[in-house]
Amino acid sequence: MNRSSKHNTHAWVSVVALALAAALGGCNDHAKYDAAHQAGANPPLPDARNFFTPPMQVPKYVGWRNGEAPKVANGLKVEKIASGLVHPRQVYALPNGDVLVAESNSPNEEPVTTPKQLIAGLIEGRSGKKAKGANRITLLRKRGDGSGEWDRFVFIDHLHSPFGMQLVGDTLYVADTDAILKFPYQTGETHISARGVELTDLPDTINHHWTKSLLASPDGKKLYVGVGSNSNVGENGLDVEYRRANVLEVDIATGGSRIYAAGIRNPTGLQWEPKTGQLWAVANERDEIGADLVPDYLTSVKEGAFYGWPYSYYGQHVDRRAQPQRPDLVAKAIPPDYAIGSHVAPLGLLFYTGNNLPAQYRGGAFIGEHGSWDRSPLSGYVVAYVPFENGKPAGAPQPVVTGFVSDDQKQIYGAPVGLAQGQDGALLIADDVGNAVWRVTKAGD
Amino acid sequence: MTPTTAPVRAPTYRSRFATAVFDVLNPVPYGLFVGTLIFDILYAITRNVFWGKGAAWLVTTGLLFAIIPRVINLCHVWIPSRYPVTSLERLDFWLNLFGIVAAIVNAFVHSRDAYAMVPLNVVLSTITVALLSIAQIVHALDKFALREVPREQVQ
Repeated sequence: MNRSSKHNTHAWVSVVALALAAALGGCNDHAKYDAAHQAGANPPLPDARNFFTPPMQVPKYVGWRNGEAPKVANGLKVEKIASGLVHPRQVYALPNGDVLVAESNSPNEEPVTTPKQLIAGLIEGRSGKKAKGANRITLLRKRGDGSGEWDRFVFIDHLHSPFGMQLVGDTLYVADTDAILKFPYQTGETHISARGVELTDLPDTINHHWTKSLLASPDGKKLYVGVGSNSNVGENGLDVEYRRANVLEVDIATGGSRIYAAGIRNPTGLQWEPKTGQLWAVANERDEIGADLVPDYLTSVKEGAFYGWPYSYYGQHVDRRAQPQRPDLVAKAIPPDYAIGSHVAPLGLLFYTGNNLPAQYRGGAFIGEHGSWDRSPLSGYVVAYVPFENGKPAGAPQPVVTGFVSDDQKQIYGAPVGLAQGQDGALLIADDVGNAVWRVTKAGD
Repeated sequence: MTPTTAPVRAPTYRSRFATAVFDVLNPVPYGLFVGTLIFDILYAITRNVFWGKGAAWLVTTGLLFAIIPRVINLCHVWIPSRYPVTSLERLDFWLNLFGIVAAIVNAFVHSRDAYAMVPLNVVLSTITVALLSIAQIVHALDKFALREVPREQVQ
């Protein structure tokens, strides 16, 4: 090889290296909006983008060290009422003041069907969000001695990725990932040894989104079940989405069920809005078309309505990734009521009706935001409060409980998930990364 | 002694082992990339995710199998030795390099969810298969290229 051809070689190598860097580096996608900018009925929606590598930013798990706690807004205080739990995902307050905690995570039944799943699973595991759950419900009871300590009991064991819990009369309904189970409950008991009786089965193939949220109707005749989709946007085929991305209505007397509302990608929190009695949900929208797409939302769930997934978002914004397309369904799709920011991952919803917290937190909704993994900077990782007026959101989500990630966004201590209101009006927060349950009350209480 | 007029037969590769490993492994990525192209076209037409996921495995596996033969080829073409390298072999090297670069980008494109990979997956698979096919032809022509046979007696 003579000198000039050697020279050429170097030039070629640089060109190739540059082209490769440009192709792969072109996927850098820094968010333009934060949650407050993308809140409201008409959030700004940038154009959808495609990426060469899915943008990922995952803080490293460190957990809460001794004495550390999330930060709360002025006028509030926070205490830890349980620690060392195994992936506490949902909390539920019983009428006698006891608190149930579902220690649970994905059943990990999703097969690896693409090379991407192998790699993404490893990266997401860094945050502690993929840790195994205990598949049990734990009962927490405040000691009567005024010490402020809480005792812990194993309430129901050997469950299968439980999430939703609802007490109707003397029957406790538990939504495992694959079925709704009935347990007899007597006030004050700290352990149920009876085996659950199946009320009805739930969609349980793949379980990409595994949580089954649960809400009983005020008259105790129906259960509403939030069933998440089996994919981000239909990439596992549309046949596995049968009865997925839906809110199902289950008749308690017969176990029969029907689709109450459809096209909600992952409706994780279901609650009754106290003023209007309307069903509301928080939902996780789709990923991988931009740091600012698609905003997660808080919405009333209208009977028979279709909210777009997977064919469109926010009404008629068509997502061409879902094929074959369904213009007939897109035409029917209605937008959700209220965006709360992109990729904040709302997993818990609570309309606050108590009178412990200051007046500014009454009547609106608390949202447990588990936090983003595919966005830079991070979003979520807070418990936010959305004020309501006349049964409608009346202002952007305000962070109320924060400090779950370090200021530099490199480390994660915890992540809020399910929310509940204690019988004393305290706000209870399940923290499935910090393995704790937090209790927020007014300062000086 | 009468001087011979027959062409001098001499090895043009330095290692029997490397040459054998190369010949065993080198066809594998080519075949897998052709499979990728077929699956990509089928996914674009049928919209059945099975083909898209299959294509993602094919292109990724093809790249893994390409590592060893490409390293052997890199050494053969660019590390100077007393065995001469023809210009066709250099062309073959570059065609393969660009084909592999397209396949690497294609593997990332295949990580997109569902139909987001279409049509770029078909374009990149076509580029890879075209470049590697031309490389195969170049490789064939190279068998007829005249070589400067090393003449140790001259040195």
